[in-house]
Amino acid sequence: MKRKWWIATLAMLLSVPLVAQARPLTVTGVRGVTFGAVLPGVPRVVLRTDPANSGQFDIKGPKGRSLLLSFVLPLRMTGPAGALMPLSFGASDAGFSQTQAIGSQVGFDPKVPFTATLPNNGRASVFLGATANAATNQRAGSYTATIILNVTVLP
Amino acid sequence: MRSITKLSLVVAALVLTGTALQAQTNNASITATASVQTPINVVGAQPLNFGNVFPGVNKTVAATDLTNGGRFDVTGQASTPVTLSFTLPATLSSGGNTMPIVSYTGVHALLATQVGGIAFSPAAGANPTLSATGALFVWVGAQVQPATNQVAGVYTASVTMTVVY
Repeated sequence: MKRKWWIATLAMLLSVPLVAQARPLTVTGVRGVTFGAVLPGVPRVVLRTDPANSGQFDIKGPKGRSLLLSFVLPLRMTGPAGALMPLSFGASDAGFSQTQAIGSQVGFDPKVPFTATLPNNGRASVFLGATANAATNQRAGSYTATIILNVTVLP
Repeated sequence: MRSITKLSLVVAALVLTGTALQAQTNNASITATASVQTPINVVGAQPLNFGNVFPGVNKTVAATDLTNGGRFDVTGQASTPVTLSFTLPATLSSGGNTMPIVSYTGVHALLATQVGGIAFSPAAGANPTLSATGALFVWVGAQVQPATNQVAGVYTASVTMTVVY
């Protein structure tokens, strides 16, 4: 009986190192969303298919596994002297690409968690577009905001 | 033998469970950036002034009249196109009396001296570009048509210019 418990305990301890052997999940912010020059009163749209200005994250993880993608999206960008500029995300402003090609995306709503599958090479990319809504009296200057992508490998 | 088999199943289950239940999570961030340009500012710099007008005698002030033409001064982002549109009154008023105002003309220029100015129709609007220093000057002229029995008095109305990028 004692021997059985030792074997069971050993098995539990072994189970943790086995997890470590699976390909680790990494998420990398490759490129920010760049609006460039924005004129007061004129909305500036960046499409997720814009190769120069859309945001991009690269994901590496266990092959063929399902992922849950969820964003932490800012409502505003912060500028000079604390000035704020509204930022909005449309229902198809995010895109998942199993080939990591910007021309081959499955669009999804970045405001809603999205389930995707890693391909057999364990690599994928997420692209993001957005709209900056400058008011007619928007204070001139540089504005920034941080966008976070959370990725979970589903059990 | 049977107990060894059971034990093997337990061990296998524990190993597999241990593997499956460990969900991996990671995240990364990127930055959204924008450079907001200078907002447009419009000032009514000079009224459209017809001066003395006599009953039955039309009077015209040309947009090129630097003294009497109405003038708007615009500032904004250097070398950037803008759209001008106008709200133009059809009459001037003095109490309950009115006097027609017609035939609006316009000139826009990059200098307050009107050098290099371009004529346009205020009713149609215009799409000029701000100067390298972000300036634009716009003049408006028109004609008033007092009736022969026009009641004496001071007649006024507002001309509004809207500028957008």
